[in-house]
Amino acid sequence: MQHGTSAMNDKPVSKLLVLDDSPAHAWKIKAFCDANDLVALKVRKGAEMAVLLTNIDLGGILYCEGYGGSPEESTRIAAEIHSARPELPIIIRRETQATLAGLPAGAEQAFCAAYVASDMGALRKVIDEYIFCLMYPNALLRGIAEITTSVLSSQLKGFRISLDTPYIVRDRVIFGELFSLMPLESAWCRGYMMLQTEEDPLLEVLVREKASDAATNFRRVNDLLGEVTNLIWGAFKNRYIGDGKASNGHQVQVPLLVNHKHKYISFGSENPQLCFRYTLTDESTTRSLTLYQRFAFNLEWSPDDFAEIAHDVAGLVESGEMELF
Amino acid sequence: MAQILIVDDSSTVRDEVTTFLKNAGLDVISAVDGKDGLVKLKSDPGIRLVVADVNMPNMDGLTMVEKIRGELGNSKVNLIMLTTESSPNMKERGKAAGVKGWIVKPFKGAAVLETFKKLVA
Repeated sequence: MQHGTSAMNDKPVSKLLVLDDSPAHAWKIKAFCDANDLVALKVRKGAEMAVLLTNIDLGGILYCEGYGGSPEESTRIAAEIHSARPELPIIIRRETQATLAGLPAGAEQAFCAAYVASDMGALRKVIDEYIFCLMYPNALLRGIAEITTSVLSSQLKGFRISLDTPYIVRDRVIFGELFSLMPLESAWCRGYMMLQTEEDPLLEVLVREKASDAATNFRRVNDLLGEVTNLIWGAFKNRYIGDGKASNGHQVQVPLLVNHKHKYISFGSENPQLCFRYTLTDESTTRSLTLYQRFAFNLEWSPDDFAEIAHDVAGLVESGEMELF
Repeated sequence: MAQILIVDDSSTVRDEVTTFLKNAGLDVISAVDGKDGLVKLKSDPGIRLVVADVNMPNMDGLTMVEKIRGELGNSKVNLIMLTTESSPNMKERGKAAGVKGWIVKPFKGAAVLETFKKLVA
């Protein structure tokens, strides 16, 4: 899945955790995922919660009625997952009916929808409703990747940058120890860009570049991530927002919620988020660091109004060069 | 007495620009936002060039340059914006305030060094 910007897929994918142990149904799920821009992830029994605590950026969970060996155990596992990660849609495969009716007490609220193996078309509709419900213009996906790659190249010299195909998540986990948030306000979108990474790999870069100790440089990690965020935001604004009225005069805001204990952030909306994952590899040591970039358009999303700002090419000055007045 | 005042809330940018210009033989001081920039400019009559970001906390760069020309009545110091912004409206506002040049980040020192040297000469 990993490749450079030039070969980047235009269509986002999403990862599904598959908690369905039916061998007879496995090939059907695989074929369904292959055909619907989904990546199926399997997990061994008993390791579900451990996996959910890792950074796998999920879009949702495919479950089956008998998972765990008994109806009681199946209900318990589903309830535990739902309690730990309420943002993740859990879709249950049932034997006879594509509804949530008749599930054991306490199970219904854990699931968002049901399907049966004989009607995978119904599952597609559920996936569209819960995961691929927002349309992202191809030009926007390409543009974000280009902008971000360019900024990272300018700020972290000597690193080879690669990125995965963009993906859609409903996960709310904050990866690593460090993240930045930047509001994005335009006539066609209102929300946030979030960058997430881990401190140690960035510290290593700074220590090596400045030839000093980690203790004195840890605050500089914040500055570096802040500047990277600022540069991406600026380029995004110049390319897609321009001088137009930023937000159609709306003053609506919702609180953001950050829970450090659970490494969790809520943007106050159920909308899935658009994500990019960049891997930066130090060409001299081959050590790498990962940067996650999320777009949560939680306040407004009108992709029909999306447009790239047309610039007067003749008057353009390259970034870094001076335009004299 | 310094020749150049760098005004940017990002220490990454301040350090990068300052180091580059000092290595080129120029005397540089820095400020963390527009308010700090005004204070530093008032206290150092040797400053010939201010290089300022636009988006900063407490006081943005365009407000600062307007105050330099207006409230401080300093019409001599040269003003350059170094920013992620490239909107025509902002550039017009800068131009009206007496800004001489506009650089869109990231900073590429070699591309502007000769101009900086002329502006402090």
